[in-house]
Amino acid sequence: MGKAFDPILIIEFLPTLIKYLGVTLEIVFFSMIFGTIIGIIVALPKLFHIPIVRQIVTLYISFIRGTPILIQLFLVYYGLPALLSIWNIDITRMDALYFVIITYSLSHGAIFAEIFRGAIQAIDIGQTEAAYSIGMKPLQSFFRIVLPQAIRIAFPNMANSIIGSLKDTSLAFTIGVMDMMGRGETLISSTAHALEVYISLSIVYYVIVLVFEKIFKISERYFNRYQPHGISSI
Amino acid sequence: MTIDYSFIWVAFKEILKAVPLTLVLTFVPIVIGFLIGLAVALIRAYNIKFLSQIANFYVSFFRGTPAIMHIMVIYFGFPILLDYLIKVFNLPFQSNNVPIVLFVITALTLTAGSYLSEIIRSGISSVSKGQIEAAYTIGMNTFQVVKRIVLPQALAQSVPNITNLIIGFLHTTSIAFLVSQKEITGAANIVASKNLKFLEAFIAAGIIYWVITLIIEALLYFMEKKAKSYSRNAF
Repeated sequence: MGKAFDPILIIEFLPTLIKYLGVTLEIVFFSMIFGTIIGIIVALPKLFHIPIVRQIVTLYISFIRGTPILIQLFLVYYGLPALLSIWNIDITRMDALYFVIITYSLSHGAIFAEIFRGAIQAIDIGQTEAAYSIGMKPLQSFFRIVLPQAIRIAFPNMANSIIGSLKDTSLAFTIGVMDMMGRGETLISSTAHALEVYISLSIVYYVIVLVFEKIFKISERYFNRYQPHGISSI
Repeated sequence: MTIDYSFIWVAFKEILKAVPLTLVLTFVPIVIGFLIGLAVALIRAYNIKFLSQIANFYVSFFRGTPAIMHIMVIYFGFPILLDYLIKVFNLPFQSNNVPIVLFVITALTLTAGSYLSEIIRSGISSVSKGQIEAAYTIGMNTFQVVKRIVLPQALAQSVPNITNLIIGFLHTTSIAFLVSQKEITGAANIVASKNLKFLEAFIAAGIIYWVITLIIEALLYFMEKKAKSYSRNAF
């Protein structure tokens, strides 16, 4: 605080902050990719009822859904180096960005796993039976019949959690990552205009979220293209 | 690996003292935000002129920006606004006398209001049109229809979403530690910095959050059953 509120600064800060948008999007992009991979792996034991692995996976999902992302971030940031030091691997000097991507991937993995499981279980068993009756093999039936329909159901939920994760990236600065928010913090310490910086950041986040929402809406229409009108509102 | 297991227990007991503040920061915004959300949802559902545009922007903006922004903007902006008002009206108090926790609660209330309005709106739109028409045909007025027919069904429908929101908010309160609030994360941070044992303190904090989440989930599961007891559907 300290200095008087100056609305012009809000606009002046925008270009400086937007330069760091790339880092924010990088976190979202990589955590989405790794999260999807983890999500598929984690969903399998629950779908096929594999004992023991299933319980471990349930515990993992419950933990991720039961703790704030901030705590997960700290746990990975302090816990991973400690864990790897057992095997004499030193990662204490690793860039904080990687810790953020690991945390968000793990967090997404759990949430995506639940989304995938729900989507696949939502497909009527009759669809699989019909696929078998016309002579498809289990894999064919899964990839040609079940999966395309499951993606359609999973997509809106995934879009929501991607938008959520975009907003969650604003916490990455707490472990010292230089993303948009981190740059904002340094701007505050150099100019002492905290309020203007935060309003500026809000504008950037808001615009990005609006753009993402638009893209997801268009893609959702694409995934629903075979649905008769009126039912496609899932 | 050098984990001091006994320190987890020490930190656990220390952090447990911060649970009440976390619960206050979770539930006060949700309760007040519920009233805001209800008002905003009804404004949008009945498409009241001018007000519905403001409501649309409010919901879209607060859902489109991270909660940390709301906390920070209000934390830094409110005192400036307050000081200005004090100057204009010559009020006899100072803005730095206002406890920070009030700023956090204000910010989280506004955030909760925007999310709850969307939840309630989707609940309202799940009430079938026939129900409303039937209520009008037996001579109810709009207020009666909303109070007796629409809202009870809409709210029962939104309980699962509200459960998710409460848990989401429990986790959002962890951000309050950035404005030096001594809630669970803040307390963990203090214990950790004092003893330079960060991992242990955050393990303890994680366990506490996890347990609270499980308790809230269990409680609201029973509430959901009760709220839907009128329904004879299979779900």
